[in-house]
Amino acid sequence: MSTDSLNSDPMSSDPHERARMLIASAGLERPGPEDPSKAEHSPVEQSWLVVHLESCTTCREFADNSRVTIRLLRGIQITAGERLVSATQMRVRQRAEELQRQQERLWVVCACCAAVTLSTVVSTALLWRGFAWIGQQARLSTPVWEGGFLVFYLMPAVFTGIFLLARGAFLADHNGSYQVDPRV
Amino acid sequence: MNATACYFVSAMADENTEIARGLQRRDPDLLDHLIEKYQHRLLRYLVYLTGCGELAEDLFQETWVRVLERGRQYDGRHDFSTWLFAIARNLVIDHLRRKRPETPYSLADGDDSALLDITATGQPSAFDATVQREQNEQISAGMQHIPAGYREALVLRFQEGMSLGEIANVTGAPLGTVKSRIYRGLSALEAWLRGAQL
Repeated sequence: MSTDSLNSDPMSSDPHERARMLIASAGLERPGPEDPSKAEHSPVEQSWLVVHLESCTTCREFADNSRVTIRLLRGIQITAGERLVSATQMRVRQRAEELQRQQERLWVVCACCAAVTLSTVVSTALLWRGFAWIGQQARLSTPVWEGGFLVFYLMPAVFTGIFLLARGAFLADHNGSYQVDPRV
Repeated sequence: MNATACYFVSAMADENTEIARGLQRRDPDLLDHLIEKYQHRLLRYLVYLTGCGELAEDLFQETWVRVLERGRQYDGRHDFSTWLFAIARNLVIDHLRRKRPETPYSLADGDDSALLDITATGQPSAFDATVQREQNEQISAGMQHIPAGYREALVLRFQEGMSLGEIANVTGAPLGTVKSRIYRGLSALEAWLRGAQL
């Protein structure tokens, strides 16, 4: 992670820019060799920087200024109040309960869908045979009893559609509420 | 990597796996614990990113609600804080887009009056406290005057102590860009501080 972009960075061709990039990204206060997992620059880069800083006054000055700025940055503290934390916890819990209820509802809907599908498959086959038998007994032609079956089969869906459309129109007229103004 | 470093890396990976499992279950107790653990870090990041205390508080709550809702997407392979900050960052960007659709990622308003209380960490004496408070005010004001991308990189690097790779994960920027932002941010902040001291 340490050397990839610096070497490919066009700015690194300037030794001062390279040194300042190293100083800034390492912060000079970051854990170094005692914690290798946290070290951002390779030992080669670090030793190059040390040598450069010995000979370059302006970069040394930049390093000193950076150290001060970073200390100041680390010195300021912004803390979250207890009120914010408890309000957040409460809001998260409420949302968790909502999601739980939604999930439970979803399970019920899925179970209902499965039951309806199953019963449709079974009942369609039975109804078809029933209509065929009635057609035979009443000596009706095949297209007639098939048409009857189709009407009977689609009727619940048609009625439900009409009901939902009427309900939607009613809600739209009454601002989404079923409550009728008592003064009317 | 030495044995101590291995131990810490392994412990962190275990912790992240535990968090991922808890988030899969949407465990409210785990979320309470995480909110308490990351409260200051997350709020500080949001305050610096937005420049507004009230907005930061709103986004703080939104972030945790988003963590609850999207918790199943966290796989525990990365550090939880990296994922958390990325969520917070996306919320800030969404907010800025809604506020100013013409600028996809823009500077905060710089409304210093809306900043949260910024207090000194140590107060050894009244004089030191005054000096430190002045320095804090200067640096806080300076942070609001540098571009948001630089400010974000500085906060993640020097206040949150994230590695360059972690910052790259949070911001979605290449490592070279992260280094460049830190360098330019630090230079801009130093220049601003020098100007303020004159």
